[in-house]
Amino acid sequence: MERVAGKKPSDNEVDAMIRILSNEYNLLTARVFLGVLFVVISIDKIADPAAFARSISDYRIVTGTPAMVLATVLPWVELLCGLALAFGILLRGSSLLIGSLLIVFTFAVASALLRDLDISCGCFTQAPSADRIGWLKIGENIVLLALAAYLFFSRNHRFSLDEYVRSFPPRS
Amino acid sequence: MTRWHAGLREAAIIALSASVFGFVYTGIMRKGLFAEGYSQESAVSRPGSPSTIIHVDEARELYESGRALFIDARHPFEFAMGHIPNAINIPLGEFEKRESQIDSLPRDKVLVTYCDGVQCNSSIGLAARLREAGFQNVQIFFGGWNEWQARNLPITKSMQ
Repeated sequence: MERVAGKKPSDNEVDAMIRILSNEYNLLTARVFLGVLFVVISIDKIADPAAFARSISDYRIVTGTPAMVLATVLPWVELLCGLALAFGILLRGSSLLIGSLLIVFTFAVASALLRDLDISCGCFTQAPSADRIGWLKIGENIVLLALAAYLFFSRNHRFSLDEYVRSFPPRS
Repeated sequence: MTRWHAGLREAAIIALSASVFGFVYTGIMRKGLFAEGYSQESAVSRPGSPSTIIHVDEARELYESGRALFIDARHPFEFAMGHIPNAINIPLGEFEKRESQIDSLPRDKVLVTYCDGVQCNSSIGLAARLREAGFQNVQIFFGGWNEWQARNLPITKSMQ
């Protein structure tokens, strides 16, 4: 078939792209990176839910007891998703959940910036002076979101526990 | 669509287990919701800032006596839409930029900070900053603008 000239990628280029994206080692790297990152950021919040609740309240979207409930559950969602991604179990669910969380976080940060709130992110550490929010944070979140989407939509998950379990032939 | 189905089912499993872990962990460790002395107030007040929170009746009394200067911690736009008469506007995010204005605040008056109401805490943040800046008599009208309006107390608008 004759292609109309221009910037459209050729079939070869598309094939190459798909090959890179479905490369099992690239997938493994992305999976472990995102997984370990979420495990690491969850630790501080699990250790001190009250400090995390204050970080949440600073955004002035949820405050008081609902913020405390969020601070109780959210870090554990991050930890479990991180572990699941790193080990390769429940990959669809964990990448979906992490992606959704990142979307919510991004909107929260953007709305805080638009409201001129000068607050700390509460993303990595709960120290009030560190990690102030800024537009860079949104860029950071979008990169992580792309990684989560990549994992969610990819098919090939070699080296994952899921795949390992599935590799046993079914007993008859 | 099986990808989405599987994703949602697995996400629900993770979220459910996270809730169980979270509540059991904080329950056993006596943290967060289960910490000793946890109450609505401790969730919003920061440690190290002894904050006097006043009720709308006290706020009204202070207002009528003229002993207080009300400081509105909300966004200038919200301030322009309506505020407590004679209040001044110092949005929490602009605290550093307003140094000269803060230096010129009267030291013989009670400073009463407020924002929208219970859903915001910039009044608490502003009170803490004012204390750091050396003001001794700072109080927080936590019910804020919402409670003030609900009582049909006098208001001023600076919006055309």
